Amino acid sequence: MVDMSWPGCAKSLKGVILDMCGVLYDSGDGDGVAIPGSIEAVRKLKSSDLQLRFCTNETQATREKFVAKLGRLGFDISVSEVFSPAPAAIAVLKERGLRPHLLVYDGVLPEFDSVDKANPNCVVIGDAAEKFSYQNLNEAFRVLVGLDKPVLFSLGQGRYYKETDGLKLDVGVYMKALEYACDLKAEVIGKPSPMFFQSVLTDMGLQPHEALMIGDDLVNDVGGAQNCGMKGVQVRTGKYRLSDENHPTVTADGTVDNLAQAVDVILNQRGH
Amino acid sequence: MAGRRVLKAVLIDLSGTLHIEDTAVPGAQDALNRLRQASVAVKFVTNTTKESKRILLERLQRLNFDLQEKEIFTSLSAARSLLEQKEHRPLLLVDDSALEDFTGIDTSEPNAVVVGLAPDHFNYKALNKAFRMILDGAPLIAIHKARYYKRKDGLALGPGPFVTGLEYATDCKAIVVGKPEKTFFTQALSDLGCSPSEAVMIGDDARDDVGGAQNAGMLGILVKTGKYREGDENKISPPPHLTCDSFPDAVEHILKNLL
Repeated sequence: MVDMSWPGCAKSLKGVILDMCGVLYDSGDGDGVAIPGSIEAVRKLKSSDLQLRFCTNETQATREKFVAKLGRLGFDISVSEVFSPAPAAIAVLKERGLRPHLLVYDGVLPEFDSVDKANPNCVVIGDAAEKFSYQNLNEAFRVLVGLDKPVLFSLGQGRYYKETDGLKLDVGVYMKALEYACDLKAEVIGKPSPMFFQSVLTDMGLQPHEALMIGDDLVNDVGGAQNCGMKGVQVRTGKYRLSDENHPTVTADGTVDNLAQAVDVILNQRGH
Repeated sequence: MAGRRVLKAVLIDLSGTLHIEDTAVPGAQDALNRLRQASVAVKFVTNTTKESKRILLERLQRLNFDLQEKEIFTSLSAARSLLEQKEHRPLLLVDDSALEDFTGIDTSEPNAVVVGLAPDHFNYKALNKAFRMILDGAPLIAIHKARYYKRKDGLALGPGPFVTGLEYATDCKAIVVGKPEKTFFTQALSDLGCSPSEAVMIGDDARDDVGGAQNAGMLGILVKTGKYREGDENKISPPPHLTCDSFPDAVEHILKNLL
């Protein structure tokens, strides 16, 4: 009989998906710092028979810049293994024949180079920070109200995040503003959207029950993966809080101290 | 006839009811004069986030309406009343042209956020400042929550989307002071010394003017000018006390049947 619970389920796994910030590294001044044991853990997974992908809600830089930063920290990761909301949005746009009006951070614009943006028939917003001016938001609004069937994509739906100089409004606030102005519901791309996880599974050619997600965000990483039919394990690093282990709606399949421990448990189960 | 009301006050909407842009509704000035000859108080009420009472007065006087500044009550007046009553010191995210209606209000070390329509202030930095204040416990006061408005160059975002965004960020509810809020109507009547059951509202907006007034206990008369669209009278429950072609008809009805 197949063991479906953690860690026994590791025996029948075919792929692992890792969150990045808070699992591989902690953000901070400059590039941030690698979480102890994580560089080695990624190396071990890569040399195993498991498929490996990375999944992040980062939308202020291109994947190339982001992966280069991780390379400087010592991680051996290639761009094609990283899933972030911008490329996921591009796949959706192409599939549905949509041409976006973009309201995103300048750093992520190059991701959209290959996308036809003439005569837009939808709007994509990301964490645009200082670019969230009245003028720019109004332009996005006018594109939406000018459409018969307005479509708004939001790269994540966070309320705010913390930077060294204080709390900052995140993309979710502006998503809500446009939803209210246009009386519509945005389509959220990125974690915890099932579509986002599904795109990673499709890339690996796996069924949900064959894959495991490891992250530090109980709701967006673990809960999101579980909603897709995957297993979700939480690490006690990054934004992990003790209260996560008694969360009212999300219960992780397993909780481990860090990525290094998670990988050792998985590989042990598989008899490596 | 049973339960006939004693009518003491008439509240009148401005844009769309007395005038449309720079043109008066035909016969509206005379109708207002006839109303003033009856023993009833008159007040002019409007949702505005940009125009001070002085600017509104000047426009109406140019169109030959007979009124005084103290007879005008706007959503800005309502915000001011609330600030005075609660002794709040506001961060004012309102258009510069509206600032004169807040003359004399202490804005040092602000402990409340007032959001009007202020394209110049709706930048990331200013909204972050407002957001942090609200997170620290400052109340969020919205002049109103309109989704958008019409500008010469097309539609433009109103205050509503920004209020909604701040509500989401801080997980709080804004205090809305303009029409159709009940307190807006009761505040407008307060210095006339009459209760809502002794007043009638005339306006072109079924939901904000008529529905709001009736919800506050007044009678509401819907006029088919301004933003009125066919069937608007069916969009509110209970329906308007009366739906008529324009402001002069509303006045005729009041003089004939309500006094």
